[in-house]
Amino acid sequence: MNKPNHAKSKFVAVASIAAELSAVMDVAKEISLAAANAKAIAFRAGEKAKGFQPITDFINELAKETIELVNDINEHALLLYQMTVDEHRMTDACRSFEKVAVLAEGAPYARSLDKSVELAQQRMQACRAQFRIHVNQLLDQLEGVMHPARAARVIAANSRIEASQAGEYLQSLQAVAESVDNAAQVIHDNVQRCRSALSILNIAE
Amino acid sequence: MKMTKIYDGSYQWIMYGRDENKRSNIIDTNQYIIRTANRCLILDPGGVELFAPMLAAVLHHAPVEEITDLFASHQDPDIISSLGLWDQALPHAKLHAPALWEGFLRHFGCETIEYVGIPDNGGVIQLDGAELKIIPAHYLHSSANFHIYDPKAKILMSGDVGAALEEDGSPVFVDDFNAHVEKMRFFHQRWMPSNQAKRDWIDRVRKLDIDIMAPQHGRIFRGDDVKRFLDWFESLQVGIAV
Repeated sequence: MNKPNHAKSKFVAVASIAAELSAVMDVAKEISLAAANAKAIAFRAGEKAKGFQPITDFINELAKETIELVNDINEHALLLYQMTVDEHRMTDACRSFEKVAVLAEGAPYARSLDKSVELAQQRMQACRAQFRIHVNQLLDQLEGVMHPARAARVIAANSRIEASQAGEYLQSLQAVAESVDNAAQVIHDNVQRCRSALSILNIAE
Repeated sequence: MKMTKIYDGSYQWIMYGRDENKRSNIIDTNQYIIRTANRCLILDPGGVELFAPMLAAVLHHAPVEEITDLFASHQDPDIISSLGLWDQALPHAKLHAPALWEGFLRHFGCETIEYVGIPDNGGVIQLDGAELKIIPAHYLHSSANFHIYDPKAKILMSGDVGAALEEDGSPVFVDDFNAHVEKMRFFHQRWMPSNQAKRDWIDRVRKLDIDIMAPQHGRIFRGDDVKRFLDWFESLQVGIAV
């Protein structure tokens, strides 16, 4: 792969992960709000929505869990971005040192750069190895966010069943179930995109 | 990269510039080194585009481990955007640069090199036997700006003061001051913001014994041309854009 383009795609991939995660965070907050609304409706519905009440708590827990996970992943993504910057600098330095070696041919102190070249190459390799480790860790963390998203879809299905017994509150509770289902789908899709971007980076490495 | 020795005593001053391979859309710059027995100071090391030819040129005069000091007169990219690369190349070096610009200059990458912030009133760099005075030149043109004066070699490295905009490959020294003036006028009128700062600097510099005034762009002034420049600069109105 062309080196400068590779570096660019790396920066773009890592930055796009941050953008996708920010969207996941917004959706998780929406779920939390939906859970609060559902709780209020279920409270008003009383006996008719008895089965719905524990579901609202569960939805809320899932939203909280997602927010916490995304916060951790965001910190990790930031670290990965810094590593991308470091690696870019090392790569740039190695490339510049190669130019110096050509231009300095015959200069009395040309070989004095050898140690710095060796060190920069070692740092670059170490940086790449660290990058790979962190990409894999991030992939695992993203898999972790998929779990609450999948659980939310199951809960949404259960919510629809419970909503069907809620009489005049049927529509409101069904809307809640719909909103949770949609949100879970959005989270799933966004996280999947993050995983794909990271997987491509891993292959390119 | 053209190399010109401008002082040869118990240590040397060498000017590097007029790089033939420089892209035409970036401004030409003069870099200087002071080479003592065991150390080497690079003054305004240059932009990132210039790093490879500059280091290759310096390796004719000093090994990497003896390049112990860098000086950046101010924060501009043509002065020091190569910092991140020097940071990887030099195992133990110091960067002497305005304290005010530290947080800004670190954006270029400065992990290995020690940043030695210069306070507003200047200071001294001791390079083996050479005692180099750091002369304040604030607002000429940068808000925190310094020049280097070497009393032994009688050289003032004057950063952007004395700079000229001219064709690639121009001579290193001013040979006809009156003809050179027009190459300097716009640069000083437009880039220098303050007549007050200009007068303060001239008062300070008139007290120094200077044989050579070496700017970061254009040509070097020698002998009476230094005084001619100070007189010309004194009478010039700067900060013309407002």
